[in-house]
Order: sequence, then C-alpha cells, then structure tokens
Amino acid sequence: MVAPLAPRSGLRYVYATVANSTDLAIDVRDLVKTYRTPFRRKKVEALCGVTFGVERGQIFGFVGPNGAGKTTTIRTLMGLIKPTSGRATILGHDIPSRAARAQVGFLPESPYFYDYLTVGELLDLAGRLFGMHAGDRARRADQLIERVGLGRARGQSLKKFSKGMLQRAGLAQALMNDPAVVVLDEPMSGLDPIGRKEVRDLIVELREQGKTVFFSSHILTDVEAIADRVAIVARGALQAQGTPAELVQRTVLGIDITLRIAEAVELGTLLEHATKVRRSEHELSLLLPADTDVDAWLARARELGGKLVQVTPRHETLEELFMRRTATTAGDANASAREGRV
Amino acid sequence: MSEPTGSAFGRIWAIALNTFREAARIRVLYGMIVLVVGANLLSIVLGQMSIHEGARVVRDVGLAGVSLFGSLTAIFLGVFLLYTEVQRRTIHAIVSKPIERWEFVVGKYAGMALVLSVLVALFAVAMAIMLTWQDVGVSGEVIRALALAWCEVLVVAAVAIFFSSFSTPFLSGIFALAIWVIGRVTPDIEAAARTAGGWIKWTATLTLEIVPDLHLFSPSGRMVDGVHASVHADFVSWSYVGLAAAHGVGWIITLLAIACVLFSRRDFA
Repeated sequence: MVAPLAPRSGLRYVYATVANSTDLAIDVRDLVKTYRTPFRRKKVEALCGVTFGVERGQIFGFVGPNGAGKTTTIRTLMGLIKPTSGRATILGHDIPSRAARAQVGFLPESPYFYDYLTVGELLDLAGRLFGMHAGDRARRADQLIERVGLGRARGQSLKKFSKGMLQRAGLAQALMNDPAVVVLDEPMSGLDPIGRKEVRDLIVELREQGKTVFFSSHILTDVEAIADRVAIVARGALQAQGTPAELVQRTVLGIDITLRIAEAVELGTLLEHATKVRRSEHELSLLLPADTDVDAWLARARELGGKLVQVTPRHETLEELFMRRTATTAGDANASAREGRV
Repeated sequence: MSEPTGSAFGRIWAIALNTFREAARIRVLYGMIVLVVGANLLSIVLGQMSIHEGARVVRDVGLAGVSLFGSLTAIFLGVFLLYTEVQRRTIHAIVSKPIERWEFVVGKYAGMALVLSVLVALFAVAMAIMLTWQDVGVSGEVIRALALAWCEVLVVAAVAIFFSSFSTPFLSGIFALAIWVIGRVTPDIEAAARTAGGWIKWTATLTLEIVPDLHLFSPSGRMVDGVHASVHADFVSWSYVGLAAAHGVGWIITLLAIACVLFSRRDFA
C-alpha cells in the first residue's frame, strides 16, 4: 500500500506508516538539518523532518532533484553531517556510531580517493579501517577487484582511472567489509549504459545475498527497474514513498494506438481529442483520452482502411510521478517565497 | 566480517601509513632536502672564509637548517594534509568507516611525525657528512641539539594541525608561523612580562601561557643550570633534553586533543 503523506507543519511531512522498527535496516525519524549561510547567517533548512524506513533485504531507491536533500540525508546516515534534530538508526545502532558504520558499506557521490593509491591499496586501507586481518584483506580485495571488472587496472594508480573506473573502485571499497547494509550515493553516475547495467546487476545480486541496499539516483528508469521501494524527496521533505507499482497511478491515463494506414487517407473526426499524433507514409500513432470508446474509434478507423498494429493503455511512469511531485513542491516553494516564509 | 574487530592503534596506523605515502609524494619536501643540503654546502664555503672556525659554522648552519626547514615543512604539511582531505572529499570514504574522528586526526599527525622524523634524520645525515668533511666528528652536544630540534619540529606540526582542524590552509599557515616565531622569542616576552606594565605586561603574560616555549628547544646562548649553553662547548644535559621533550609532548597532546574535539564537531558537507 502506498504510504500516505500527511502535512505536518509548513513544508514538513511525516511518513505515516508505522513499521516495526526491528524489521528495519535503516530507520530515519524526523530528521532535520539546518545550516546558517556564512555571512548573513540566514537559516537554510536542508532537511525538514525526513522520516522513512528501509526494511532488511530491500533495495530502496531515494530519488529527488538536485538540492532536494538526498545527499544530506545519506551523509547524515554515514555520520559525515550531524543532524540538527531527529534520530536515525542502522540495524538498531544509533547514528553516528562506530557500531553502525561497521555494518555499512558506503559509496560517496562522485567518489574521491587518494589518487596515488592503486585499487588494491585502496581496498587494503578500507580493510584496515574495518579491522580485517591481512589475509582476509588480500582475499577480499582480489575477489572485489575481479567482481567490479578492474582486474586489468589493478597495477595502475587511481589518478589514471576514468570516472567510471573510479565508481567501480568506490563500489569495491564499499563492499570490502561484506556489509549487511550498502548505502550508495548516485552509484550509476558517470557510467556508460554497460556500466550502469553492471551496477544494477550488482545491486540486485547484493539483495539476493540478503543485503539491504539504499541508493540515490537521478536515473529514474534504473530506480524503477530494480528498487523494491522508492522514496521521492524534494526541498528537504519526503514527497512520496512506496513500491514503484504503488507509487505510479494504476488508472489508465490514455490509450496509445498505432495503425497501418495510407498517408493519403483523410482522417477527419478520427483525430478528434487525439494528442501526440505522428504520421508517416504507412503508419499513424496517437494518444487518445482514457475515456475514449476504443471499439467505436477502431471501427471508424477500419472503415477508412486502417489496420490495427497496437493498442496500449498508458499508465503513469515513475518519471511522470517524479515530475508531478517535484513540480508541486516547486509551486509550494514559490508560494512560500511570496508569503515571505523561509 | 562486518563487526568491528580492529584496535584503535590499527586504525591510527592505517591512517598514519597512508599519510606517510601521501606526504612522500609532495615535491616540496624534496625541495626542502635540496635546500638543507645546499645550506650545509654553503656552511663549508663560509667555514673556509672564517679563521679556524669551519666546524663551528657547519654546526650552527646545520642545526639552524634543521630547525628552520624542519619547522617550515611541519607547518606546510600540517596545514595542507588535513585540509585537503576535507577539500578533496577523500575524507568521506574514510570517516564513514568505523573509525573515530580523533583516531583520524591522531593518525594524520602520526603520519606527519613519521615523515618529519625521516626528514630530520636526512638533515642530520647531511650535517654529519659536512662535519666529517671538516675532520670533526658528530659530538654528543650535536646529537642532543638535533634531538631538541626534532622535538621542536614535532611541536610545530601539532600547532599546524591544530589550526588546520578549523581553518583554511592560508590562515592556518599564518597562525602557525606566528606561533613559531613567538615561541622562539619567549625570553624576550618573559622580559617584557617582568619589566613592562599595563596591557603589555598582561599581553606578554597571556602569550607565555598560550604559546609553546619553542626557545626551550634551542638553548644555545642561554644560561642553563648556571652554565652558558653552547653546542660548541658546554651544552645542555640529556636530562634537560628529556624535560624539554616532556614539555613538547604536553603541548602536542593538548593541541591534538583540542584539534580532535574541533574536528569531531565538523560537518563534511
């Protein structure tokens, strides 16, 4: 069921679903982060009471436009930023805590690593920080270097790595401790289509191993393809949360029709109420409103010599939902600005 | 495998080792070595121009080189190594691991101390070669003076890392350099605190409290235990070196403790 979002105060929203916290790998409650601008000391709310839960063994996609609060949320979870208020736990351990971080593998956004190290040395450093023994470090590093496809580049320093290769090295160091929870900030960023697919496959493989994966992304098709659950965040507040199927409207928004019909034929009333009309020499495609009597429309088309190629009911995509939700928030923001609210 | 099993020492050592690797790639350090070797060679020339004072010039220039270039290197490394971790965001992949922030700061300092120790050792070797060239050996006085210079360099590194924990490299560099200069003239400040009045006395007294007494590490020319300390004749004893080192360790611990607290409170956005 889609988690309902109830307005709390101003731009703040609270996720109304109460999950059993023991089932949650990540539990975030009413997280607020407020910054002050350097000189004018103006208050900026980066997170306005973000609340959500990630169940164990799930792939959880965290989406939102630039500046929405995705990275701030992730950095707060990883102890890089201290929340102004609110609480979060990872596998029951409060953040920030060493116990919480010990169970997590983290890939930062656009990862920056020591460019004088090789990927093997980077993984060795990560392993040392996780308290792994030398033998375990070497074995695990070998496995991961092969798994992320950097076997041929293992002798090169990271300085010579492309962005995609750095992303792979980042993924490898995030998995060094065989973590129960993997947090990935924009893991597909900078990757070509093959690289993106490999990362998607890796994330799915991690779920199959029983791990929880929490990742942020701009690439909505990737999120839709692999996430068990998705949260949309905008202007520091959660806008929607649920499975991709739950989130998008299941009602039919329109009907896509493709006909084979000669270009010379006069279509007349056939195009009434139609949108997105495309016509080529032998084919016509268009979108009809959801309440169109399709049988009657097709009968008229056949009378004109048209032959049906395809009829597809059109549902909302995650991208459309994203645009709708974030556009609404932008509207709210404009209204707030007009009213002089921060 | 994901439970934390390592010790704080293991994590600090991992950071220290990585810092050593990072610093060893900084070309400025090699420039410093060239400068010190150049200064030592210059001391030979100056020694030739003096009358029977070649060894004295080599000792003075060599020790001054260790102190000056060692301290400048300490300031340079201290203000850059911690700051660049934050600026380049390499710290994100580190402090998100089960390491405490204080362990990170101490590890950075330990790595720097390792680099600076190697550097001071190289400076000392250059000086020893020059002294051998002058047909005088490396005396106990020179070894004690080198030990004191090494302590000074490590204290200056802690000063630099302290400022770097909350400030930019430029400001940290200025502050650390100012502390180094003030710390070297503590006898003059002590005199001001004794003889001056009003705000000058108050300022001098406060300065003596909050600035490490770096002059302790270069006692040449001072009266110590009733003896005029000179690296060419009667120098300070090993017990003096021990006490000065303890003073330095006290400052290092204090500065690192404050740096750790400040660093722990920072957001890495």
